[in-house]
Amino acid sequence: MASATATYGQKESSDQNFDYMFKILIIGNSSVGKTSFLFRYADDSFTPAFVSTVGIDFKVKTIYRNDKRIKLQIWDTAGQERYRTITTAYYRGAMGFILMYDITNEESFNAVQDWSTQIKTYSWDNAQVLLVGNKCDMEDERVVAGERGRQLSEHLGFQFFEASAKDNINVKQTFERLVDIICEKMSESLDAGDPAVTGAKQGPQLTEQPAPPHQDCAC
Amino acid sequence: MITDCCCLKMDLTFLQTLERERVLEVLRRDQQLRTIEEDRIRRMKHDLQELRRRGAKSFSRQYGERTCARCQRPLGKLWNSGAVCRGCSHRICSRCRVGTEDWKCTVCHAYRDVKFRSGEWFLEERAKKFPCTTDKYEMVGDKLLTTYNVFSYISVVPPTPPPYLLSDYAFLSRHGDLKNSKPFTKSMEDLMDSFTSHIKKISTSQNDVRGDLLSVDNDRRGSKLSTQKSLSETDIGKSSRLFKGPSLPNLFKKSKDSDQEGSSTGAEEETSCGSEYSGGKRGSSCSILSIDCGLLESVSMDGELELALSYSSDSSCLEITVGSCKNLSHGDAKKKKCHPYVKLCMLPGKSGKMKTTVKKNTTNPVYNEVFKFPIERHLLLGKRLQASVWHSGTLRRKLFLGEALFPLDGWRFEDKTSQSFNWYPLCHKASEGGAVERHGGEVLLRVKFSSSEQGEVMQLSSFKSLQEKDTRRQII
Repeated sequence: MASATATYGQKESSDQNFDYMFKILIIGNSSVGKTSFLFRYADDSFTPAFVSTVGIDFKVKTIYRNDKRIKLQIWDTAGQERYRTITTAYYRGAMGFILMYDITNEESFNAVQDWSTQIKTYSWDNAQVLLVGNKCDMEDERVVAGERGRQLSEHLGFQFFEASAKDNINVKQTFERLVDIICEKMSESLDAGDPAVTGAKQGPQLTEQPAPPHQDCAC
Repeated sequence: MITDCCCLKMDLTFLQTLERERVLEVLRRDQQLRTIEEDRIRRMKHDLQELRRRGAKSFSRQYGERTCARCQRPLGKLWNSGAVCRGCSHRICSRCRVGTEDWKCTVCHAYRDVKFRSGEWFLEERAKKFPCTTDKYEMVGDKLLTTYNVFSYISVVPPTPPPYLLSDYAFLSRHGDLKNSKPFTKSMEDLMDSFTSHIKKISTSQNDVRGDLLSVDNDRRGSKLSTQKSLSETDIGKSSRLFKGPSLPNLFKKSKDSDQEGSSTGAEEETSCGSEYSGGKRGSSCSILSIDCGLLESVSMDGELELALSYSSDSSCLEITVGSCKNLSHGDAKKKKCHPYVKLCMLPGKSGKMKTTVKKNTTNPVYNEVFKFPIERHLLLGKRLQASVWHSGTLRRKLFLGEALFPLDGWRFEDKTSQSFNWYPLCHKASEGGAVERHGGEVLLRVKFSSSEQGEVMQLSSFKSLQEKDTRRQII
């Protein structure tokens, strides 16, 4: 078990050459494929064997997106109830979430509402969530129609993907979409306008109007 | 609180050994990642502060003077008259603007950029939902940290800045000769101490959570009833530690007071910003304060230090290879001379001090010397390796050129890539402030565990004598 975590590169984690660092949390019922999803994305590997995650784990991946180098610390959580207290402690540090269910497992889909409530409770108000129906390669065993997933995601205000960690469908897209919407939120957070950005002088100076643009042209 | 402590004890016995090891391993990795990230942020903020300082209007001049607030170039009355930056309300010449339509001055732009890059934006947003609650549970966190030595060490990661930095970075530029005023400096030193201790608390808050969560998990196994209770307690505790607000705004008020003691003129601009923030939303004021403190604290330098650590559990000897340094600053700046050597030692305790040979007249010394620390792996928990570079001057005068710290208990020794040389940046010293000079440069090191059984007994004895005599040099 320990060796599985040891395979990830030290270089990647100690690299300081990036612009932003985002923390992402993957949640969902046990055995929906959270760990597989992460391994597919970070290592491009897949093992069909099911190994239950102990508590919490993470991987680091640096991607290049929108002209920025973004380092992702992706937390993989244990779906099992008994680790719930450990995993919820990490909600607060996450900027974005991947909420996953298994399209061949009705119960995991029914639990989405509960997971979303957990996010609302423990995370920040602008938490970005992507709903992912995993295992879409197993069309024969599907019990949750794609449309139901879509409707639920609209109801909850999340974006929606059906994906397969096994066949590498929509895995990269999911993470990139999430990164994009976190980037959007990030810009909004500061553009929402705090004039005192440098903490410099306020007061009478504020009333002074910015000089009209044509003044600049003169120089 | 008593129950929490009990939980902690039970935690170690109740959690299955493998599970606990597994979780701790992840936490250590995360802690290591954050150490690196903190270092990055510190450097980032230091750069920003440098930029600010360069452009800051000094109080020796009239504020309303027609000069650009950033580059200090004079502004004309009719042409090149500058325009007011929406961010800072200073008058800015056309060269010091970033963007076209909705432009900002260089400093405002950089400030915004740092907020993005450091993740500060997220902390501020989050503070809107989880503002400060109470300090009451801070005690529990502290207790957990000290009891659980794995975590206790984490709390000492950010270095305490030497007092001189204060006048240098924060106020020198704006308050001109204020730093010569003794009572002022003194009071600011005190202030700085409390500042940094608060910041440490904030930055370690996440670690506190870990201590909590482990105990909570364990508690759940014990009884469901108490789970609910301790869970909510930890939640409150977490938020209180995350945003340890109430006392922070006071600090700025203090700073205002001391500013006014120090000087009757000119302190207005800086302090107004402080009180402005503390008057605002508490949550955001905390994070803004933290960015400011980060600026004061930012002592790390440019440049990198490449280091590799490896670990083999079937031997018990830590092997460190000091490769080389590059771009060191001159120990003797006047004569442009530098005789650098590298000193290694284990923190805390400063055990096993070892030095390389002194290389004469070079800022890019090559050592390639191998050092061995005989030490059991479990003893690495909470230990850090300190590699400092010194200039060996005349009359045994030593001059500090920079250091790098390596947390050993989170280090992934098994990793093949980490066994090779890596460059790491040199930083200012964490504790001593006196004769620290500005420096840049790097040290090349390699640390690995050797499996040579034969040499172990000998090494162990020489290691012991090292501890006794502390200053002896061991080169293998």
